[in-house]
Amino acid sequence: MQPGWRSIEYGLAATNSRAPLMNEPPSNPGNESPRSIYRDSVHAAGAGDAQAGDELLLSRVKGNDQQAMTDLFDRYGSMVYSVALRVLNDPGQAEDVMQEIFFQIWRNPDSFVQGRGSMGAWLAVMARNRAIDALRRRKPTESVDDVVLASPTNLASEIERNSLMEKVRQVMKDLPSEQQNSVKLAFFEGLTHSEIAARTGDPLGTVKTRIRSALMSLRKAIET
Amino acid sequence: MMQGAHIPHEDLILYAMQALSEGETAAVRLHLEECKPCRDDLAAVSGDLALVALGVDQHPLPEGARQRFVDRISTATSATSQSEKKASVVAIDTGRPRRKAALWISWLATAALLVTAISLGLQVRSLNEELRRKSEEAAKQEAESSRAKQVLEVLTAPSAKRVLLTASKAKPAPTARAVYLAESGGLILQANDLEQLAQDKTYELWVIPANGQAPIPAGLFRPDAAGSASVVLPPLPKGVPAKAFGVTIEKAEGSATPTAPILLAGAVPTSGE
Repeated sequence: MQPGWRSIEYGLAATNSRAPLMNEPPSNPGNESPRSIYRDSVHAAGAGDAQAGDELLLSRVKGNDQQAMTDLFDRYGSMVYSVALRVLNDPGQAEDVMQEIFFQIWRNPDSFVQGRGSMGAWLAVMARNRAIDALRRRKPTESVDDVVLASPTNLASEIERNSLMEKVRQVMKDLPSEQQNSVKLAFFEGLTHSEIAARTGDPLGTVKTRIRSALMSLRKAIET
Repeated sequence: MMQGAHIPHEDLILYAMQALSEGETAAVRLHLEECKPCRDDLAAVSGDLALVALGVDQHPLPEGARQRFVDRISTATSATSQSEKKASVVAIDTGRPRRKAALWISWLATAALLVTAISLGLQVRSLNEELRRKSEEAAKQEAESSRAKQVLEVLTAPSAKRVLLTASKAKPAPTARAVYLAESGGLILQANDLEQLAQDKTYELWVIPANGQAPIPAGLFRPDAAGSASVVLPPLPKGVPAKAFGVTIEKAEGSATPTAPILLAGAVPTSGE
């Protein structure tokens, strides 16, 4: 296994049967929280074919099936590249990040552990994290690469993926500008919360609250 | 940062975005290994962050990116399979005593070995060729880069002298200096940078009398290879003040009167030279 792609098998259960948040009432059959309804409904609506498609492709990749790897690349390459490009603002570097992510999957398909959630979402986070590493010219970080995603959204389907992307874009546009800026600085520019506070002149607590509020707004909007 | 038994949601968000300091990151990581609720919360946060990532504007892949990836995994696959083949060949030769019944297996193994060796040989040759080509390209690029750097250094050096060059005169203009003593009729002419003449032509020196009389021929001359020529004490009448001197080009035997144009001319200074 490659350095930086070390797998820590914690939290896998969370993605198979999503665990509630700390401050969220536990779901129970017949009386589920809106969030779990959203996730389950998305999963039920599309996970079937498309999600199975990702898993099937990945299992073929494990058998050195180049065509399966190329199919995964065709499915998610543009998305991964776009995320990296947003961070790096350099087509050459963004392609390097994108190529490296897919090549690592080819060499080590187990770096994505089934059950961690949607492969597309996982790749999107990987692209962001790798691009930030490149931006900061540092070695790939290990711990945050062991991402477990409680988001079994159907990203393998291009139609649903595009629909979700459009919805996210709209939600992000509608956020208060301070929240947008905080998320931009932290997520796309890789600044620490202290750096953001120093740059914006806002207290540290305010920076944290803005980022949390932005994500909560996004989550709620997508769930509805 | 931590409050109570669990990590605040805000800090998990920052952790997922790698936006905590090193110390804070280490503390969160340590806690996560022991705390499932926080791991679950982190998983939810990561899902939210994936949404943020998915909200970026989509761009098509750069031209050729797909092919580059396909080539890369093909090369990696080829190298891996060759390695596996090599490993399997090594495993065949166990060093155990061979039995007659299994002799054909040895032949097959040998044949397989040969095929593999040939295949490997071809592969190595191809890779060597590729390596040689890449090395040449790299060396060429390095040389070009080095030269470009030198050019830049010269152009931008503060101590560099900047000089404007223009076209020089095609040829120096012919000149002549005359020294004349009217009382004795003595004349000496030294000319330089004269053009060479055809065989049937010659330069002729003239004294232009101050009294307005016709120019007096003062000698024929031709320049040497360097364009220099001189006339020393030609036969001239005595006591003829001169107003000026001139040089013309005449036919080889000379002329009684000057033929225009006058190539060189110089007036006698009123107070002498």
